[in-house]
Amino acid sequence: MKTRLRVLRAEKEWTQAQLAEAVGVSRQAIIAIENGKYDPALPLAFKLARAFGKNVEEVFVWEDDSLQEK
Amino acid sequence: MTTTTPRISSHPARAFWAVLGIGTAIDITAGWLLRQPGYIPQARVLFALLPIPMNLVLVALIVRRIRQLDEFLRHVHLEAVAIAFLLSGVAVFIYGYLQQAQVVHPLNFGIVWIFMVVFYGIGYVIAARHYR
Repeated sequence: MKTRLRVLRAEKEWTQAQLAEAVGVSRQAIIAIENGKYDPALPLAFKLARAFGKNVEEVFVWEDDSLQEK
Repeated sequence: MTTTTPRISSHPARAFWAVLGIGTAIDITAGWLLRQPGYIPQARVLFALLPIPMNLVLVALIVRRIRQLDEFLRHVHLEAVAIAFLLSGVAVFIYGYLQQAQVVHPLNFGIVWIFMVVFYGIGYVIAARHYR
């Protein structure tokens, strides 16, 4: 799964700590998600998307081709 | 003027260190009492069980703290616990073989938790680095 979190955060000029506080998680969580090392569960994904006024699909992009219809 | 005394439960870190300190003091006292001669067997059993209440409080505090962590940190700690569990198992297993080979002294079960804490630390570093 790819994320546009870093880009969106930069557009808002938020620090990782500010975003972490806004959604109620640790800064380490934001770092791991931005680096693509950790995929958040749905509630956190929704919270992050809401923080930027976006839908989940605009923040997180699923890239697994195996589920696509042929 | 009114003064407020902060409740110990409202400061998780302070409560943890206070309980850990008291618990350690009780552990040391129990160990010291068990080394003293002259006590009846029933008293020695009581001394051996003395650390249980504070250790249970410590477990409760740690569980409460884990529940306060966000999902990512819980994930990291779960990996750390899994690594610590497996490494502790391997260490005890190998120590048992070394004991059969009569190259080490019989294992003192009172120090096994030290290995678990060290392995937990190693596990935490491994897990935290993996997600960096």
